[in-house]
Amino acid sequence: MGFSANGKQCLLPEEALYLMECGNLQVFHQDLPLSIQDGYEKFLSANTVSLQQYQVFGHLKRLGYVVLRFDPSSESSSYARQLNLPQSRDRAGRQLKRKRSLSPAPSSTPTATCSRAEAQEECSTEKMEEDKCSEGEEDIKLPEPPEAQSSADEGGGRSWWMMDVLGDSDKDSGHGSKSGSSCWDFSSISFPDLGSTSREHFPSDLAPPDPSLLPGDLKVGFCDIAPWRQKINLRQVKMSANEQKREKYRRRWDVNKNREVRRCRNWAEYQELMARRKGKREGRPAHLWNREVTPLHDPTQPIATGELLEKISVIKPTHLLEGASRLKDADDWRICFNVYQPNTVADFKKSNPGKPYSRMCVCSFDDPVPDLRAIKLLAYQSGDIPVVIAVVDYGDISFYTFKDFQLPTDVYP
Amino acid sequence: MEALSCGERRLGSEEEYAAPAVGVSLCDSAPLVWRMQDLRAVRAEGLVGALLGSLPRTPRQNGRLGRPLLLLPEEEGLLRERRAAAALPDRCQQDWGGAELRQKHEEEEKRSFEEQSVLALEDRKLALLRAMTGAESGATSADEALRRRLQALDQNFTFPQSAMAVQLSTARAGLSYCPEARAFLQAYGPPGAEPRCDARYQVFRDLRGRGFYLTSAGKFGGDFLVYPGDPLRFHAHFIAVCVSLDESVCLLDVLAVARLGSNVKKTVLLCSPGPDARVCYTSLQWSGMI
Repeated sequence: MGFSANGKQCLLPEEALYLMECGNLQVFHQDLPLSIQDGYEKFLSANTVSLQQYQVFGHLKRLGYVVLRFDPSSESSSYARQLNLPQSRDRAGRQLKRKRSLSPAPSSTPTATCSRAEAQEECSTEKMEEDKCSEGEEDIKLPEPPEAQSSADEGGGRSWWMMDVLGDSDKDSGHGSKSGSSCWDFSSISFPDLGSTSREHFPSDLAPPDPSLLPGDLKVGFCDIAPWRQKINLRQVKMSANEQKREKYRRRWDVNKNREVRRCRNWAEYQELMARRKGKREGRPAHLWNREVTPLHDPTQPIATGELLEKISVIKPTHLLEGASRLKDADDWRICFNVYQPNTVADFKKSNPGKPYSRMCVCSFDDPVPDLRAIKLLAYQSGDIPVVIAVVDYGDISFYTFKDFQLPTDVYP
Repeated sequence: MEALSCGERRLGSEEEYAAPAVGVSLCDSAPLVWRMQDLRAVRAEGLVGALLGSLPRTPRQNGRLGRPLLLLPEEEGLLRERRAAAALPDRCQQDWGGAELRQKHEEEEKRSFEEQSVLALEDRKLALLRAMTGAESGATSADEALRRRLQALDQNFTFPQSAMAVQLSTARAGLSYCPEARAFLQAYGPPGAEPRCDARYQVFRDLRGRGFYLTSAGKFGGDFLVYPGDPLRFHAHFIAVCVSLDESVCLLDVLAVARLGSNVKKTVLLCSPGPDARVCYTSLQWSGMI
C-alpha cells in the first residue's frame, strides 16, 4: 500500500480510509484526528474515488487481495506486446515466450523440381499407361499416344464388328452378307427365335427359307432344331418378384417412347440430350457450369471436410479483440483497479507487482449492461487479463465477467 | 462507540412531541447514517438499509459489516415524508480548526491516558503477583519481597505515551461540539415536499405499511426483497418487481423472472401502483404439472 513521493511515504485516499477502518491508522487534520465519518466524507467523492468503488476496494482487501489503482499509461500497447518488447516490470520470473512466426512461402525455383517429382510419383502408381510418364518429361509426345490409342480402339472395334457379322452365319437364321443392298423387306422374312421359352410356336423342324434370300446355289433342307435347342440354355431364370417386375418394364422399355427423346428433331439435339443426361449423372450438369456463377465446389473433386466447411461458411468466427484498436475511448466504462492475488499465492513486490489476477470495473445495477463496444474497449485496455465487472447493489457486490468463446467445429480431418 | 448524550432534537413545529430526527449525512450523494441512536431509530421505523463499513472488532471479514448504514432512496424518501430525517452538516467548518475542539480533544486524550496508565499499573502488579507467588513457596519472605517489589513498581512505573491505545470514533465526534448543527437539522429537503411519485416508491411505501421489511434485490433480478419480519430472523418470501400498469411486459421477461424465483424458492410479486394510491399485486409461482 502506498507510494513514496518527494521523499515521503504517502497513501492513496482509499487505502488510508481502509486502514482507518481496520484501526491501524490515524489521520490528523489540523491537529485533530479524523473520525471514520470524516474520512468517508473527505476522501470519497465522484472526482477521486466514489463510494461504490471504495466498497469494492474494501470488499476485496478484506478478502485478502492486493488492490492497486489501474494506470492505463503503464500498460504496454498491443503493438509493443506483439513486438515482444520486454516489459520492465515483468522481467523477473517470467520467460519471454517466443512467438512462432509463419514459415516463409516456398520460392519459385524449387517448385519446378517439386512438380517433376510429383509427376514421377504419379508415374510409379500408374503402370498401365506408360504414356503419362513420357508426358511429363517431353510435351511433344503428348498428342501422339492418345491418338494412337484411340485409333487402335476404333480399328479394333470395327474389325470386331466385321468379324461378328461374318461369324453370324453359324446360326441357322440366314443373315445375308450382301452389303449395300437395302431392298429386303425385313417384316416379311421370318426370323425364328429359337430361344423362346414358349414351345407351341415351334414345329420340330424349321422350313428352309426362301431361296431368293440365300446366296448362290446354296440348297438348304429342313432343319431339326431339337439338338440345337438342347444346346441352348432354356432354363427359366429364377427371379424374385422385384426382378420380374423389373424385367417386365425392361421388356416394355423403348427409348423412343421417352418424351424428351421425342422432342429431339435431329441427331444434334439428341446428342445434346445425351450429353445433358451424362452431365447430370456424373454430377456436373452443363447448365450450372457454363454460366458466370458456377457452383462453389465441383462434387467430382475430392476435398477434406474441414476445407469444405470453410468454403461454405457464411459467418466467420471472430474474437473479442477484433477491431478493438480502432475504437475511441468511451468515458463511462473505465477500469478502476488491478487485483493481485495475496502474497502466499504469488510473489508481489511494489517494485515488481507481476501480472494482475484480474482488473476491476465498478458500476451499479441501475447502469446499463455494457454493450459490445464497451466490452471490446475494456478488453483492449486490459490486454490479456480478464476484466471483471463489479456491480454494486446498495451493499451487495456481485462480480461478472465476459469470456471469449469459440464455437467448436465437429470435423475429423 | 461513543456515548453522546444528545437530547431529543425537536423539529421547529407546533407539536409537543416529535420523534427524534435521524441524522443523515450525504457522502458522494449517498445517504449514510452514522450514529448509533440513529441506526436504532431507523430500524425501529422498520427500515433495514445496508451496512457498508468494516466491523470495528473484526475488520478483516465480509460476513458482518459495520457502520455506516446506507439507506435506499425509497427509505430516505419515507423518512423525509414522515419528517423523521434531518440532514447533518458536512463539516462544522467554522469550528473545525477551532480552539474549542482542539481543547476538548486534548482533554479527552489526557483523561484517557490517565485512565489507561492506572489500568496498566494494575496489570503489571497482577502479573508480578502471579510470578512471585508461583515461584516461591515461603510465605513471609515472599510477602516481604513482594511488598518491596510492589513499592518499587509504584514509584518507578511510567506509562509511555506511545503505548496508549487510541480510540477512533466512527461517527463524527464533533457533532455535539457544533451548536450550529441544530439549526441545520431541521432543513432536510424542502418543507412540505411531495413524496416521490414513481412506481418503486409507491410499492415500497405500501409494503412497508403492511408490515413487511424490504431490502434491495439487484442480485435476484428484482426491485425489492420482501421479508415477513426482520431480515435477521427470516428469509425473504417474495421478490418484488415493480411494473407500471400501462407498461407492456415481454412474456420472456415474465418467464425469466418466474424461473429465477422458483430456483431460489421465492414467490415473484409483480407490483403495479394503481390510480388511487392502491397497489395491485400479482404473484407468480411455479406450480408443477397442472
